[in-house]
Amino acid sequence: MYVILVYDIGEKRVGKMLKLCRQYLNWIQNSVFEGDITEVKLKELQQRAKSIMKVEEDSIIVFKSRDLKWLEKEIVGKEKNELTNFL
Amino acid sequence: MKKTYYLFNAGRMSRKDNTLKFTPVDENGIEGQPKYIPVEGVSDFYCFGALDANSALYNFLGKEQIAVHFFDYYEHYTGSFMPKDYLLAGKMQIAQMKHYSNKTKRLTIARTFVEGATFNIIKNLRYYQSRGKDLAGLIEIIEGYCIQIQYATEIEMLMGIEGNIRQVYYTAFDTILNDFAMNGRSKQPPKNEVNALVSFGNMMCYSLCLGQIHHTQLNPTISFLHEPGYRRYSLALDLAEIFKPILVDRVIFKVLNKKEIQAKDFDVQVNSVVLKDTARKVFVRTFEERLSETIKHRSLNRNVSYKHLVKLECYKLTKHLLEMETYKPFKAWW
Repeated sequence: MYVILVYDIGEKRVGKMLKLCRQYLNWIQNSVFEGDITEVKLKELQQRAKSIMKVEEDSIIVFKSRDLKWLEKEIVGKEKNELTNFL
Repeated sequence: MKKTYYLFNAGRMSRKDNTLKFTPVDENGIEGQPKYIPVEGVSDFYCFGALDANSALYNFLGKEQIAVHFFDYYEHYTGSFMPKDYLLAGKMQIAQMKHYSNKTKRLTIARTFVEGATFNIIKNLRYYQSRGKDLAGLIEIIEGYCIQIQYATEIEMLMGIEGNIRQVYYTAFDTILNDFAMNGRSKQPPKNEVNALVSFGNMMCYSLCLGQIHHTQLNPTISFLHEPGYRRYSLALDLAEIFKPILVDRVIFKVLNKKEIQAKDFDVQVNSVVLKDTARKVFVRTFEERLSETIKHRSLNRNVSYKHLVKLECYKLTKHLLEMETYKPFKAWW
């Protein structure tokens, strides 16, 4: 499964959320992550995210797609982080 | 699903916030923009550039079951960092041992490896035959050797037949390739461009097999066709035999005939030929594409990637060793 995850988190907790998301997905922009992930791993991520969030204030939105090929990605301006497995 | 990462740039890998951080370093020692790699999505690393890392990182990689394979400047495989075996099974080890020490049992398995390899070799040749290359004579010779496989009574005989088949097969390279010639196999060091690619590709295939064996209960040091006990994880060599024609050789034909790698991508020295960085990247990228290609598996009735096929091969071998199902080598059926 290919997902895009965006979050809007209170300033105090945002650092923790960034670090958590980095473990599972690729950072592409401030508060935006994307990447290939299994359903179980995504659940795990959401579970751990909930323990960081204040559910009344913060929010996370996950856009799911079956595969990267069903997703058209267009970048206007500078690409902040190019995704590649050739470093 | 989990990705393989290829490290070409020199740099420092470190553990940061329970995930991986890679900081590239250029020739002048200046650090570039660090990149975070999601640790949950990494299956292994192939390390071609100079990698800086400390034991804290390796402890972390070990815990996360991530292997690192190292290649030296001449792209020889130099070794792997393997996480602790996590699928230990005494029963499996004993079964493997028994099959190794019983000569007929060992011969049965070794024979299927050679059979599988030969079948895939012929498949390759047939494919290029259908594309207008004249290979009929060579196919016939190899088929002749193929019949001898079942009569081999010693491992050495089997290895001999296998060697003969490969020799004939490698002469076919000269016909298949448009602009390059192989002029026989030479290694340590490879003497021309094609040989350099074959060596490099075989190493990639070998470490792929090793990585997949690690995710099963098989012991990679006990092999059947190759003599175990000395040098390296020889079971990976056995398995690689089957997959080399379809994974490595096909990629070589592709990159050379489509001119994705050209003569200028090689560093020709007095006695050896080495791939330049550009060639290495192109090859690895094409190889990776090949691995993630999927085919419809006939008995599983679903799509599987070439990479997964290697693991399925391990499972089949496991079943054979535990005497649940007779091992049939993977044969390209399309």
